[in-house]
This record gives sequence, C-alpha cells and structure tokens, in this order.
Amino acid sequence: MALPPPLRTSVTPAELELIACEQLVDIIPLVAMERTAFISGAYGPLRPPAKCKVPIWMATNLKLKKKCHIVPPDWLNVDFLQDRLTRETSQPEFSELPFRFAEVAKVILDVASDDISNPEKVRSLLQDIREARQAKSRDGVSKLDHSELSLPNLCAMEINEIRPFFVRSMGVLTQLVRQPDPGRMDQME
Amino acid sequence: MATSLVNSAHPPGPTYLAFARDGSRVYTGGSDTIVRIWNTNEGTTQEPDSAGEAKEGVTCLAAGHDCWFSGSNDSEVRRYAHASPQQDGLVTNAAGVAIRSLAVDPQGSRIAVTSDETTVKVIELADITNVVLLKGHTKAVRRATWHPSGSLLATCGADGRIVIWDISEGEGKEAKTIEGVIPAVANTESDEFAYDCSVVWHPSGQHFFVATRTHEIISISRNDWSKSSTFSNEDVSGTITALALSPNGVYIASATKSGVFIWSTQTRRLLYRFQDISSPPIQLAFSPSQNLLAWTDLEGAYTRWQDPIPATAPHPIKPSTASSSAGVQKKRARTPTLFDTEADKEFARKDAGGDVDLDEDLGADLDNDDWILDDLGGGMDDDAEDKRTKEGIKEMVSVTKAQPAFQPSSTPLENKKRYLAYNMIGVIEVTDQDTHHIVNVEFHDKSARKSYHFTDHFKYDIASLGERGAAYACQPENEHSAHVTYKPYGTWATQGEWTYELPKGTRVLGVAAGGPPPTKSLREKSDADMQGNGNVVIATSTGELIFLTGTGIERCILSLQGDFVTMVASPEWVFIVTRDGATTMDGSQNLTGRLIQFDDFCVLQKDALPVPKRHTVKWIGVTEEGAPAIYDSAGILNVMPRFRLPFAATWTRALDTNVLDRREGKQESYWPVGVAGETLMCLILKGRQEHPTFPRPLIQELPLKLPFHRQDPKEAPLEEHLAREGMLLDILRDSLGDQLTTDDISRRELALDKELIQLIQNACKNDRLARALDLTKLLHHTASFDMAIKVAGFYHLIGLQEKIEALKDDREETDRLADAREKRRQRARDLTVIPAPRTVFAAVPRQKAFQDFKPPPAKHRPGLERATPVVDTNRNAPRAQPQAMSSQFSEDTAAYGTSFDDSVNDYSFSSPDGKRKRAEEMQPVRDYPSPGMDNASKRRAVDEPVPLVKAGASAGRANPFARKTGTDNNRNPFARSTDVNKALQKSESFFSKVDAAETDKGKRPPAGKAKANTKEKEKKSAGRQTTLFGLPANPQAEKKSVGKKKKASESQVDSQQTEPTDDSETQTMDVTMIESQSVDDEDSQPLADEPAMDALQTEINQDADTENAGSPEPIEWPPSPTHENNTVEVVVG
Repeated sequence: MALPPPLRTSVTPAELELIACEQLVDIIPLVAMERTAFISGAYGPLRPPAKCKVPIWMATNLKLKKKCHIVPPDWLNVDFLQDRLTRETSQPEFSELPFRFAEVAKVILDVASDDISNPEKVRSLLQDIREARQAKSRDGVSKLDHSELSLPNLCAMEINEIRPFFVRSMGVLTQLVRQPDPGRMDQME
Repeated sequence: MATSLVNSAHPPGPTYLAFARDGSRVYTGGSDTIVRIWNTNEGTTQEPDSAGEAKEGVTCLAAGHDCWFSGSNDSEVRRYAHASPQQDGLVTNAAGVAIRSLAVDPQGSRIAVTSDETTVKVIELADITNVVLLKGHTKAVRRATWHPSGSLLATCGADGRIVIWDISEGEGKEAKTIEGVIPAVANTESDEFAYDCSVVWHPSGQHFFVATRTHEIISISRNDWSKSSTFSNEDVSGTITALALSPNGVYIASATKSGVFIWSTQTRRLLYRFQDISSPPIQLAFSPSQNLLAWTDLEGAYTRWQDPIPATAPHPIKPSTASSSAGVQKKRARTPTLFDTEADKEFARKDAGGDVDLDEDLGADLDNDDWILDDLGGGMDDDAEDKRTKEGIKEMVSVTKAQPAFQPSSTPLENKKRYLAYNMIGVIEVTDQDTHHIVNVEFHDKSARKSYHFTDHFKYDIASLGERGAAYACQPENEHSAHVTYKPYGTWATQGEWTYELPKGTRVLGVAAGGPPPTKSLREKSDADMQGNGNVVIATSTGELIFLTGTGIERCILSLQGDFVTMVASPEWVFIVTRDGATTMDGSQNLTGRLIQFDDFCVLQKDALPVPKRHTVKWIGVTEEGAPAIYDSAGILNVMPRFRLPFAATWTRALDTNVLDRREGKQESYWPVGVAGETLMCLILKGRQEHPTFPRPLIQELPLKLPFHRQDPKEAPLEEHLAREGMLLDILRDSLGDQLTTDDISRRELALDKELIQLIQNACKNDRLARALDLTKLLHHTASFDMAIKVAGFYHLIGLQEKIEALKDDREETDRLADAREKRRQRARDLTVIPAPRTVFAAVPRQKAFQDFKPPPAKHRPGLERATPVVDTNRNAPRAQPQAMSSQFSEDTAAYGTSFDDSVNDYSFSSPDGKRKRAEEMQPVRDYPSPGMDNASKRRAVDEPVPLVKAGASAGRANPFARKTGTDNNRNPFARSTDVNKALQKSESFFSKVDAAETDKGKRPPAGKAKANTKEKEKKSAGRQTTLFGLPANPQAEKKSVGKKKKASESQVDSQQTEPTDDSETQTMDVTMIESQSVDDEDSQPLADEPAMDALQTEINQDADTENAGSPEPIEWPPSPTHENNTVEVVVG
C-alpha cells in the first residue's frame, strides 16, 4: 500500500470509506422496489418519485446501475462548504462538520457528481477545507501535551491521519514528562 | 410592395440615423460632419435643416424626450433641442478618440456614451457631471442599448463581448458577459465596424435580439442569458448589418447586403422583404409613431420604406395582445393586482401557442369573451350610486376575470421548452424546434414504463400522462383539424396507439388519461395486462365531454355544464372542474368540481371548489389513495377524503403552505406534482417564479399538515396526526366494500390507538377526564381499551376506569367493523337504481303467432322432472353470480362499464389465459348443430388446433358416450369456477341456454354438498344426459350410458366415503355426456376396460385441462356447487 509507513498501522482510508458507507443518504429511486431486508436492516420501499433513505453503499450501487439519483446531504453544497471554509480559515478551532464528511463526500462525488450542482467547486472547496484543517492539526502538534488531547470537531479521516503519530508522540511525551526517577535517569539516557 | 423614399443625405461613408421620440423627425448624420433633420411626413423633395457643429464625421445619433444628441469622430457629444439645429451644449467628450454610440435611456434621464475608449460613460442629463463609468471591455465599445426598464445597459464591444450592466443602484455592476455571439472587429475603419451590432431589447424586457457572427439573428433570454431562438431563412444570408424592432415588439427588421427583411418575432418566420438596395444599411429604425421603416447605409443614402407592414397584418406600433410585449407592458403600466399573475399566464399561454398565425391569434383574442376588461373608468360613478342605495354597505365592485382553461401540471412555452405534464408518473417535456416539436416522455419509475421521445409535427399543446398511456391533443391548424392521440405504454399489443379526429373548427380544451395502475411492469413484452389501456376524456370547445376507452372506443359524450377549466382522471372517475355560469362580482371564480365515473358516466360528487375569493385553482390531481385534491393560488391544498360517499364528501384542508416553517423569511412558492400518503410532492419555485424551468428540478416533499390552530406543543401534533391519519383511513375504509378490514387498516388503527393512549395518558395526568373519555371513544381495537383502563388505573382514576370499562363493554356488544360494513351497504342500498315503473296489463295478452321467440316448452320426460327450462332467470343468474361471490373483484369491475363486466370477471378469475379464451370463443357455435354421437370428438377436433396429446387423436373414434375415465384429481379447483361462469355467461345459442337451464335445475338438490347421495347423482346425471339427448340423440347411446351409469353408481358407494371432495369436484367437472360417477369410479378403482377408453380418458383430461385453462365453451358444464347455491338464491330471491 502506498501509504506512508506511520499510517500503515491504522485503518486505511478505504476501510473508513467502507464504514462510512453504512450511513444513510436520501435517494430518488428510478425503480420501484418493495421493502427489502438486508443484513444491516430493512430499507425501502422504493416508490418513485418519492425520496427514500438508504445506506450509501446501496445508493452507490443503485446509482452505478442508473437506478437512482442521490440527493446530496445538506452540507454537500457550495454555499455550506464556502461558509465552513471561511470559518476554518478565520477561526482557530475546527469548524463543525459531519464526522465522516470526507468519506461521504468522496463517495458521492465519485459516483454521483452529476447529482451535485457544481461538483468541481465542491471538490475544490473540500480540498481547501481539508488543507486548512490539516494545517491546524499540524499546529496542534506544538500544543501536544502528554496527558490529554482535545480536538473537538475532528473528523474520522483526520483522526485516522494523526492517530499513529500522536499516539506515539504522546507516549514519548509521557515518558519524558514523567517525574524523572533519579536512579533511573542514567539508564534512560 | 410599399413605396420607398430615398434621399442621398450625405456623401458616401457610414451614415447614421435616429428617430425623434415622437416620430416626427429623423436625424441623420454622416461623414460630412452635418446632421440633417428630416420631417418624416414630407417627401424626398424636402429641404432638411442641418446642424454642422461637428468637426469630424458624425458617428452616432440619439434622441431623448425633448432633445437629441450627436457624437462624432472629434470625440464630442453634442446636445440639441428637439427638431432644432441649434446646439444646446456639450454633454461629454472622450479622450481624443471617436464616439461610437449614444443611447438615451427610456426615461430620457441618462445617456450612455461609448467610444473607442474601453469605458462606457453613463451620464445624468440633468447633471452632466454625474457620470457613472463602466469598465469591463477590453477594446472599443461599439454599441450601447438600454433595457426597457432602464435598469440594464447592454454594450457590445469590438472585443466580441456583450456586457450587460446593472445600473439600477447608481453605480454599474457587470451583470453578465456574453462572449462568442457578436464578432470581434479590430479595424475601426472597416465596414464591419460600422455595422450595427447592438442588441435589441424586446419591449417586454424578457429577451433581446442580436445578430451573431454566424450571420443569424438570435434571441437571448434575460433569465439565464442563454440563446432561446434563432431566426433563419435560406433566402437571407450574409452578414447582418443592422437590426431593429418594431415599437410593439411584433416585428423585427434585419438588413444584409442583399436587402431588408422583416420577421415576426413570434413565429420567427420571414414575413416581408425589401431587396432594392444598393448598399448595406448600417442603421435601421422603425418609426415610433408610424408604419415606417427607415435606414441609412454606407453610401450616405437615407431610405424610408413606407408601410412595410401591410394593413392586413397587425400594426407595428399598436400594442397587440398577440405579442407578449404588449402583455408585459400592460402589466407594468397597471398597478399590480392579484390578477396580474393570471394575466401574465394568459399572455404567456398565448405565447406558448407558438407558431399560430398572427392573424389567427388576434382573432382568438378578440373572440375570448372571458376577458372582461377591467377598465372601469367612468363606470365607477354609477357604481357609487348603486352602493348608496344598498344601505351604505361599502363594497368594492371589481369585475373578476375568469380563469382560463388549463391542463394541470403544465407550463407555458418558455425559452422554447415547456412541460406538458409533470405528475407522479412522469414528465412530458416539449422542445420547440421551430418547424416541429420534440416530445420527450420520461417516467419516474423507469422499471415500470419505458421512456420515449418522438418528433411531433402537429405541435401538441395539451397532454395528459396517465397510468396506462399518454394522451396528446393538438389544436386545429390550417389543413388539419384538432385531434387527440393516445399512446399506451404497454408493448404487448403493437397497434395500441390511436388517433381521434375532432370535427373541423373544434378545439380541444383539455384531455385526461386515467387508468388503474399497472400490476406489473409495462416494459416487458408479456401477456396482456387484462386491465386494458385505461380511459381517455376529452373536453372540447363545443361543450362536449367525450369519453373513450384506452383502446379508442367512443363510449359516451356528455355535455359540459359550463366553461371548462380543467380536469384530471383517476382509475375510476374523471375529476372535472367547470365554471357554471359567470364569475361573481366579489372575485370568486365560481368553480364547480364533479367526479364522473367511467363505468356508468354518473356523477359521484358535485361540489363547489373551495377556492378563496380572488384566487384561482392552480392544480388539481388525484392522491395516491385515489382522492381528488386541489391546490389554489392562495397556497392551500384541499383533498376530498370521503369521495366514495356519493354526494356526501367534503373538501378538507390538508395543507396550508403559507404557515410552513420552511417558508419563514423566504420568498418561494410551491408547484404541486402529486400527493402521496402524507406528503405533498412539489417543485419549489424561488422568488416570483411561476413555473418550473429547465433543467428539470428535483421533486421536493412537503409533509401534509392539517392547519390546526392549537399550539399545545405536546398534544397538538398528536391530534393533528390523529386527524390526518383518520382521513387516510377513511379513504381506505370506504374502499373496502364487503370486506371487513385489511391488515393494513388494522395495523394503522393499532398505531393510531397507541397515539390515542398517549393522549389519554396526558389527559389523565392533567385531570381532564372528559377529554380522556372522548379520546377513549375514538379507540379502534377493543384491546386498546384495556390499555386505557390500565392508564386510568395508574393514575388512580377509579371513576374513569369504570367508565372506560363501560365503554369497552358497549364496544364489545357491537361489532365495529360489521357495523361499518352495514353502513356502507346501507349507503349502497340508498343509491340503488330506481327500476322503471312496471306496466300492469288487464289481461295477459295473447301471443301472436310468429312473434314468440321463446324456446319451445320442454316436453315432460320421466327422467327430466326437474329440468323445466326457465331461460330468463337463468340468464340473470350467472350475471349475479360472479358479483356475489367475488367481492374482491368488484373493484376491478367498478372501473369498467357494465358492458365490460363479463370480460373483466373472466380475466380476473384466470387472467393469464384470457387471450386464448377469446380465440376459442367463436367456435362453440359450430358445435351445436351437430349434437350427434361423436359430438364430443368433433368438438375436440375443432377446439384443439394443436393436439396436446397424441393419444387424443387416436381416441377420436371412440364412442363419446362410453364410460369415460377422467381422473381429475389434479385439477385446479379455481379453474372450474371459471368454466362455470363462462359456460353460463357466454351461452349465446339457444341450445346452450336450454342446457344451462336444465343442468342448473337438475343440480339443485345436491347443492354442492360433497356427500351427495348416489341416488341423487344418478338422477342428476340422468337429467344431464337427457339434456343432451333432448336434442336429436342416439337412443342407443343413451341406453348404454344409463347402463354404465348404474354400474358406476354402485361402485361409487364405497369410493365416495373415501374421497368425498374428489367426488364433488369430478361431479361438477364432468365432461359433456359422461356421468360423474364414471369418473369417480376411475379414481378409486382404475378399470382396464378397453384401451380406447383409456386413451379417450386422457384426451378428455386434456380437453378438460385446456378448458380449465380458460376455454369459454358454452357447453354443459354444470356449475360448481357453491355457485349453484348462489344461483338458486338469486333465482328465488
């Protein structure tokens, strides 16, 4: 896998995507279907043109067969993301975004970009947001503390990104900050 | 061709002109630096005034209200008084470059000046120091044009860009840049640069016209700045050198090197031309006051074309109602009233008429009496007097405009596209391709129906998308009369489509296609869906309401009670809205809605539509549950849940969109598409939008919410939901018929009970005991009462508990469901058909010879005691039968006419084979004349075109009256009933009638009991035999069979105990002349008699099987026992 070595220990983005695919999304079906039981639950019935909530994996599956339109979640549009981006760049803390926004947005943009208005803009906004947040989490390294880490509104993908490094460095910090035992000082060094 | 007056006003070189605003003068300027002022009324011999202040060639001219302006190569803009050659002063100047264009805004307060500079100046005429600079072009700006409102300025640059500036708020904002339309011209000295490339705004302000670099004239819509139409004609080619629009926007004139052409802006057809020119005109202008077109060219000539528009065509000046321009202008001029929107719509609709000839359109407008002009003006005085006489009651007298007829869910033609229908089934989109339309039909559920598109040369303007097909209607045009085309979706029948021509001169006002929803996908080429193609209803301008079936059978023509407004069809009825009489003085549209059933063309409901005063109906439709619904311009959705109660249903407010939470602080309106369950499916229109536009917006769902006013946060929503759900349940319960309840209903009731318990609990908590009791009464299931008792017990309300118990006991005494059914039946009884009065004869009239068509009376035969033919009753019996015994099919039947009853019932019993049944239907007639010995085998030969079993053929010669051995164990018990029905109903020949009657009678004693005793059977079979042999019969055969039968009945005694059901089955299934006993025999103890008999038996089985499968042979199948019971009842009762 082409991930940098520190990332290899944690969950891969693809796996996160898989997890995120359990989330529900609105679709406008183009085919009729009775309520159907799946392992994760029963979904449907699909009655065009009424909307229906189904998991993303099912939505993508239907979409690829041209059997539905995906209704993008209310945060996946230019206005909302623009607003978040300005907040992200103007305020120090992470702005509030759905926990798995990166994964959901990627999946929907990949399979259903025709259902989103102005997908290119959305894509670039998401990229900007991601970069802005990445910068913040890098800044966070300097404030890293051995005992506690509080990064509200951090998203799944970002947590995943920083996890290996942060966990390790916090471990190191804990060791460093621990009340040094005079007897063992030499050994540690 | 009209006359033209040519003056060589200036030396060769680009020459420009401008009309004074009153049209009395024309200013022309050319390279000789002189501006000449021509009187438009004088001929070519006149001596014009001239103004010669300019130091270099004049490049542009413009006229304001009482002044005119000239711009020239010396970079000065000069101002002159109206019709005067005396200079008033300078307006502005450019930095040493040529002025290129001047434009005074429609109000005459500002002037836009363009020059070879890249900035455009907008100068306040009252204060010429007040200058707005518009920066955006990269090269010289060639032309500037004001929008009719004066808020937008369009400039065309040498860089090939059209920039639209929004100058409404003082400084200019670039609203839109359109590139690639006009050519980029670099050389300011070239002829191309002198050509008029300006955009020409239509007086409506909705779009502008511009000549493109591809030598076309296009119109660009203001809404989305996209190209909406093209003017083209093979006679007109080459660069367009100038454009001008007639003052009322009906005509557009274009000039090329070859001539001057006048087009209709509506039909985009080339109307008139003037080709006697020497040099390309570079500026064209219609006179603002006369039927006059003037132009100047590159050779310095000033040409006037007088009366370019013949007197027969609409005048270029007078506002014509046929032009949308006039409509919109009118609107702007009037104070905005509620009815403006309608007026717009009407005009838009006229527009949507598209290519209707102008003359025709005008005529239609004059004919349109619905349009009461609201110019009360002087009439007001009289009214005031009237008011005084009415005891001082102050009322505003306003004449209400009648709502024009419309098709629900359709939009007018806008930007060459429109929706003909947009409902819960799908969308019909129309794209105007000038000479024809492209109709594109797409369905929401792509699995059920296949989307399609077709080229439409008739320009269908009305369409209805039904469950089983789409109906399209076009209006009469020159050569063809109006017609309606119905295209069913199903693919199994290739020739499903049909066209219904209307008489010449008749217009179609509305169509509606309805039908039961498909049970399976209509995409598959499967067997016939037995429900047919639905129904089509057409409303015409001659006041007819024509009912056709989906296969094009004309069924009925009703008269419309008033002006047709709109209609929509459901599977069972058509909901038609008419205006009975006129609109009222106080603003009510006075609309009446009727539900007319398809099966009997009777009115199911008739009620005034609850449209508030000063509002109109926007949409009508059918909810998913089948109830009619309307949505009005006040934003209220009404449904009629109890529509199945004849003449008793009421309109219920289901949603008031004005109080929606989502609407807070937003300017939006809702365009309904359908009502499904608890949601209103609609398109949300932003701002003041009237119709959905393209691309197709997504359907949004608004939850229905009865506009209850209580604000209690806890109870109000529950109460509202309770009432709403109750409404839906009512629809479902009303459709139950003889059924008691369905799973779905009881589940919903249970869910409702849970909510009621919550409310009861709440009431108990708050000590509102009477309320709790009231709520208890609403509970559905008796089990829920126990819950209520528990709740009361929990709150230690012993008194309440006892009362609930009493209520429960009361409820238990009566069966709620049965009561409800009784109520339904009672209603049905109340509305039964009143029979015609019976004539009483003093004496039984003697029958005249040769006028008695009754069958001859049956002779008394010992074996036939019971077989007295009662043909009449027998004819009635089978008809009553299927209805009595198959209540579940009554719904299906209800959708069809009584004449269809037979077939529908047949289908519903064994639908997959209906087709085959039909094929065989003809044949029995042939059989009857030969009722001889081998009748059976003969018939078999006829009936089985494809021998199903080889054995059958070999057995052909066997004696059909020999004991047949039919093992019918594996027969489908349901199939039999089909046969019975068929045999009884389809008996058309006399013999079969007699047969049916006799078997019927003969069968009465056993009455379907499985354990009929042997004796009776014997008798019966004897009877059946004689039935057959009552006809010319072979006595030997009879004898033989009787003998056999005896033997059979003996052996049957023991077999009967073991297989009673089998017995009864075979008994009823028995074939032609063979007794049931023999069959039974065969079951219990197979006989190895003759091999031929075995073969015959297999054949019979085959025969029976094929018949099971749906052969309608009217042969002697005795009815099944249960049926017979019914029959007897009916006959007796």
